[in-house]
Amino acid sequence: MAGRFAQLSLFAVAALIGILLVGQLRSQARPIELSSLSAQELSALVETLSGTNVDLSDALAALREQIRDYERAEAQGQSALQLTEENLSALAAFAGLVPVVGQGILIEMEGAFDETAVNDIVHELRNAGAEAIAINDVRITASSVATLQNAEIQIDGVPLGGRIEIEAMGSPEGLSSAIERPGGIKSLLAQSASVTLRVTERSNLRLPATQRDLTPTSAQPVE
Amino acid sequence: MSRRLPPRGARFVRPQWAISIGLALAVIGFVGAAQWNSSFSRQEFVTSAQRVLTAQADSLQREQEQLREEIADAEARVREFQERDAGSRTAQERLNTELAAIRLIAGTVAVRGPGLVIEIADSTRVPAEGENRNSYLVLTDDLRDIVTALWASGAEAISIGTVGDPAPAPERIVATTSIYGAGSAILVNDVRLAPPFRIEAIGPEGLHDRFLANPSFLGRVGRRIEAYGLQFASEPRDEVVLPEFVGITQFRWGAPDEAED
Repeated sequence: MAGRFAQLSLFAVAALIGILLVGQLRSQARPIELSSLSAQELSALVETLSGTNVDLSDALAALREQIRDYERAEAQGQSALQLTEENLSALAAFAGLVPVVGQGILIEMEGAFDETAVNDIVHELRNAGAEAIAINDVRITASSVATLQNAEIQIDGVPLGGRIEIEAMGSPEGLSSAIERPGGIKSLLAQSASVTLRVTERSNLRLPATQRDLTPTSAQPVE
Repeated sequence: MSRRLPPRGARFVRPQWAISIGLALAVIGFVGAAQWNSSFSRQEFVTSAQRVLTAQADSLQREQEQLREEIADAEARVREFQERDAGSRTAQERLNTELAAIRLIAGTVAVRGPGLVIEIADSTRVPAEGENRNSYLVLTDDLRDIVTALWASGAEAISIGTVGDPAPAPERIVATTSIYGAGSAILVNDVRLAPPFRIEAIGPEGLHDRFLANPSFLGRVGRRIEAYGLQFASEPRDEVVLPEFVGITQFRWGAPDEAED
């Protein structure tokens, strides 16, 4: 009788310990649901989503304007080839295939940086909304990454040297504050690798087209 | 046959194991009660301080999904007009060929081809006392390093999505793609994705082997997989299909240079 009671007690204790351990493990896991994010995380998310939705609404309005232009041209029996050419030119600019002009910032970078630091700055600029980027007059496309080749940092096969200039097209204020914010990439690189970044806002940037042939050989459009 | 009663007083003697179990139960009861109470107080805190923000974020996410659907529809409509334009047939064909080539490079059409699939998820290990819990999670740098290693290995197209059902459509990586964290959430092209993450890429033969040997993979993310037990798996595939990029392709702060070189 006493042995049976002992077994039951041990079972109950083990079950309780199991339940508590699962609870603890769950509390360690990354919160996935919106309701499990902290107020600070939610605030950041709300701010990001609000900004994105404004940009998406603008893009949708521009597309609807394009559709109206096409409809008008079609109703008048006119060709809309010019519209299509403008569309083609804008898409080519997005892909880095043609030079672009506009506002943005110039970053002068000096010090003992490595290829990871260069890639991190490109990511930081994209996160801050950069529309086009060039490094030492090399246009950065989706697939442009800094790599270490023969002990020198290269981007798209072009050696960068010890001092580089990064031009980024976008909101000058937004881009410069993203780079210079406290705890941001500028202070991180200064602390970890004695790298100095000098940021100046520019109203007349001109970024070249990529010199690479980006036509894919393996990827084919889905019909 | 009579049963002998135990001597008076002996009924009150408890064996050693019973005392130990009693003590363990008391401790468990105390911890359980504390946990129960703390979960209630957290629930109340969540309700009062975060309900509004959660509702806002949820509504904005839905709005974003709606906007992206409308953009995809509008783009398809523009494409229709471009393909049936009433102008010169030769000029139209030339433009359409050029547009198709540029869309392929820009990432605004879905693509298929040989490549690989990678899956990466948070570690299942429990951090030791005092260790940073975030080290055991997939971070934005991990995804960025994987993307960097893929491009450096010759990938021609990449997408990032999540594993699971239902899951949001994967996000195609294009020239303006952002990958960043907002708290514990990771946003790709401003779309919130959750682990496990699935990265798919198309590229020439040997992409998988080149990726696994690439310094950008072996560096930060490779070391973190080893050190913290992030769950990682990859394999080459004869064919993967990646979706088109849906989002903003028009510049706001610049324009194509008319005096192009």
